[in-house]
Amino acid sequence: MTLSAGCEPSDLRHDAVRDHCIVLGGGHSLFEFWFKYPPVLFERGTVVFAGGWSWLALGLVGLGAVASVWSYFRAPARLLRRDRAILLAGRLAVLALLAFALSRPVLVVPAVRPQENTLAVLIDDSRSMEVADVAGDARGRALQRILGDDRSGLLARLREQFKVQLYRFSDRVERISGLSELSFLGDRTDLARALERVRRDLSRVPSAGVVLLTDGGHNGSTDLGEARLELAGAGLPVYVVGVGSDRLSRDIELSRLQGPSSALRGSTVMLDLSISQRGFAGRRVKVNVEDNGQIVASREIELGGDGEASTARIAFELRQGGPRLVAAYVAPEPEEQVRENNRREILIAVQDRREKILYFEGEPRFEVKFLRRAVADDPNLQLVVLQRTAENKFLRLDVDHEDELAAGFPKTRAELFRYRALILGSVEASFFTHDQLQMIADFVRQRGGGLLLLGGRRALSEGGYAETPLADALPVLLERRAPQDTAVSFHEIKIELTPAGRIHPALQLDADPEASARRWNSLPSLSTVNLVRSVKPAATTLLLGRAADLRDPMPVLTFHRYGRGKVAVFAVQDSWLWQMHADIPLEDLTHETLWRQLLRWLLSDVPDPVAVSVSPPRVPVGETVNVTAEVADSAFWGVNGAVVRGRVRAPDGSEKVVSLEWSVTRDGEYQGRVALEQPGLHELIIEAQAGGTVLGNASAYVMVGGESEEMFSPTLRRAALEELARETGGRFYRLEDAARLPQEVKYSRAGLSVLEEHELWNMPVVLFLLIALLGAEWGYRKYRGLV
Amino acid sequence: MIGDRYVGRLAARVLLVAVVLAAALVDSAESQRGRRGRQLEEPDFSRYNTGYDGRFVFLRLRYNTSGSFGGYFGGGPGWAHDYPRAERHLMKLLSELTSIRPFMDGGNVLSADDPEIFKYPVAYLSEPGFWTLSDEEATNLRNYLLKGGFLIVDDFEGAHWINFEAMMRRVLPDAVFVELDPSYPIFHSFFDIDSLEYLTYGNYRSARGPATYYGIFENNDPKGRLMVIVNYNNDIGDYWEWSDTGFFPIELSNEAYKLGINYIVYALTH
Repeated sequence: MTLSAGCEPSDLRHDAVRDHCIVLGGGHSLFEFWFKYPPVLFERGTVVFAGGWSWLALGLVGLGAVASVWSYFRAPARLLRRDRAILLAGRLAVLALLAFALSRPVLVVPAVRPQENTLAVLIDDSRSMEVADVAGDARGRALQRILGDDRSGLLARLREQFKVQLYRFSDRVERISGLSELSFLGDRTDLARALERVRRDLSRVPSAGVVLLTDGGHNGSTDLGEARLELAGAGLPVYVVGVGSDRLSRDIELSRLQGPSSALRGSTVMLDLSISQRGFAGRRVKVNVEDNGQIVASREIELGGDGEASTARIAFELRQGGPRLVAAYVAPEPEEQVRENNRREILIAVQDRREKILYFEGEPRFEVKFLRRAVADDPNLQLVVLQRTAENKFLRLDVDHEDELAAGFPKTRAELFRYRALILGSVEASFFTHDQLQMIADFVRQRGGGLLLLGGRRALSEGGYAETPLADALPVLLERRAPQDTAVSFHEIKIELTPAGRIHPALQLDADPEASARRWNSLPSLSTVNLVRSVKPAATTLLLGRAADLRDPMPVLTFHRYGRGKVAVFAVQDSWLWQMHADIPLEDLTHETLWRQLLRWLLSDVPDPVAVSVSPPRVPVGETVNVTAEVADSAFWGVNGAVVRGRVRAPDGSEKVVSLEWSVTRDGEYQGRVALEQPGLHELIIEAQAGGTVLGNASAYVMVGGESEEMFSPTLRRAALEELARETGGRFYRLEDAARLPQEVKYSRAGLSVLEEHELWNMPVVLFLLIALLGAEWGYRKYRGLV
Repeated sequence: MIGDRYVGRLAARVLLVAVVLAAALVDSAESQRGRRGRQLEEPDFSRYNTGYDGRFVFLRLRYNTSGSFGGYFGGGPGWAHDYPRAERHLMKLLSELTSIRPFMDGGNVLSADDPEIFKYPVAYLSEPGFWTLSDEEATNLRNYLLKGGFLIVDDFEGAHWINFEAMMRRVLPDAVFVELDPSYPIFHSFFDIDSLEYLTYGNYRSARGPATYYGIFENNDPKGRLMVIVNYNNDIGDYWEWSDTGFFPIELSNEAYKLGINYIVYALTH
């Protein structure tokens, strides 16, 4: 029995520690028993034959071999051919073994010169080292025990051979003088930064490599792959001791939380989340969603099997403007090993402004009235209506000033692109010029606006849009109708949600998804005069319509991305029936809710002429963020010669200037970087000017500090660590095998070394084989009655 | 509620009202006898109704006239006055002058308690001086208006207001009747109607008072949505009906059409 470093015989009294201690250090003892030396010597060394009298010995063995052959061929005839062959082979094997031993084989291995090489020992000091999954003990404690103190343990053994430099690392890297300086409180594990630091430190001194003790949960901003290549290039092997277990036995983790980065106030948004777990299969847990600390939605979720991720989409309404810290969490179960990974946060910039939508309707019909009513008292939606009442006669509603749309539908990009979304009602394609149709397509593709086409007698295929520039932008395939086919075909359709529609934020009629689905099922039928037969490959259909006189359900609400924006087709002519119909109660808000959400969704992610984004949106304290600004004129042509001034406002109100320069690679794109030193929410504000004119302002938010990835997926990242060791020429050890490390690092290929010679002739395996071969020969003779 | 000016006018016409009421009573008694002797037939135009297909359809509200005089003159009950020629002519003009493509062959006739009325959010009510309402009709019409429906009240004058207001209060108990002037948007939704003086007292319809236009607004907010427009002392449906005969001067018929088209365009957009 071998006791590991740091283990005392008294530890064996404690069950939890016993297994751990007994196993340590016992890994290669069998190999060493037979071959006298550990495997690393055979891996790193070269066998040479060093005997001065080996030629004489070999001659004698050769003579013995010839004599053996001669004697077996001269043997009495009762010996069968097979017997001769077997006995001769055995004899020759014995002679070969003797020849090997007599020629004095020596293993020549380069070994580091004692005390002439530096060895960096990097110790993970992050919070994940507090996870108690090493035989019931915390990783940090187990690691400290293995390393031992100055007199015994792994560290002491390493110090016998090397000049050891101790480092601790988490979100920063520091030299330490002893293990007592470890705190295991770091919020991050920036493994790449730590490796880069020691590579630089060791570049000036002879070094045998790096010993890394960690659970491998790298969550720094720098790329581990690059650090690995740098180390490999510098010839520094990394000997990795993996601490912790590959999987936790009892843990629930909110492994993913996604939501929009920005939205208009009043929007219903969807949070996508995944929950992974071990040890809680089938349990029902409650997920709460908080908006700046206030619970705004809850959902019960049944967890899947061990290791399986359970996914859910939770809808909630953003009722207040400004930067909102939205969190989702599962209340920790008492028996969980890690409780800090049950909660995640995202930052959503909620715009509290009035966004303009142009609704152009070709014929007076009730969709206009009821759509206007649906958003009439919505402070964030301005529905500007251009209603054609007769040929070349327009009614303008909710315009900002007398000149707005005075000449009818916009004829220039600047005029159209001031709107963020466009709704086209029942208006025929021939109303527009070719350029206007192209401009509408560009409104989506280049400006990034939202386009919604409604059904109607003069809409879609019936409106002659097939083969127009706009047809390319649509998510549905239009059909070219011959004049004789233009008779309107009316279908009363029962609307139903598709699976995609069921989880789409615009179609949530109730906070409870089941109640929302029930409401959809209970809505009265609508009608269409636009038969949509097929949608484009990348389009998503959210609503289907079934009609008694149609064999297949038709796509009713379909959308796709087109360039920077999105296009949706809502192929019904009377969504207003969901407000007016006799079956709809007076107080029902289905119609209002649907249109407010649909329009907000249409407006989501629609860019301003001047926009700014920060990457990543959440960083640790002291980290640098990339700032990207996009600057365009009113027609959304990128402006390259602009002066873009940026400043970042810290939580204490202090401001720092951010310098932004044209990226050269893209029109209108400006980039800069800024380091953020204070924890808390930072606001980045930019202003773009060209020719003395202000093109626009924009702002974005960055959260500094707070939640970190440290406690998410806190298991041992064995694959990544093994790769690191392999790529750099080092080796990966489990904690229980770490006792082998000093001996193996001694034969590191790096650093100043000296050649060691190890005799091989006296390996136990040689003697054993000799005895075994002679014994086998004797046994065979006995069996065949030849003795 | 109607303004003091209207109350003043009523007070000045007490005698006239008394005469009208007396005449109505006599007529009612006559009609009772008539039902015993020759039952007045309640016309049924439902077979001429069209099904819903998304087009604009002119909806005429029918009400029960069996217990009263019911405005029976000119060949039918008050609710049916000018049917179907008035709507046919209006729809013809609507189709030719605007980009609306309505149902052309008349319109639909439905009682206010019919759930089908919700598919036609513009309704026309004739002779409200003889309007009767069941509880179901009152509730349904209230829901219709509050959900977004629009009601055109036409063809009444003088003391007919009393019945109209009483019935209207059963529909919208808190309704405030706001007199509209030509600046109101409904008079500019398609045609710019700068004066409301053309179709008024002294013209061929010879109403017993100056034509006045009242509105009932959603939440009684004059800046909000107009739910009901009331052509008091006026009968624009009559102009529509007879516009092809030369019975009225063409200028007056034009004014009536302007009002009708503006009402409909307004109701489709507001």
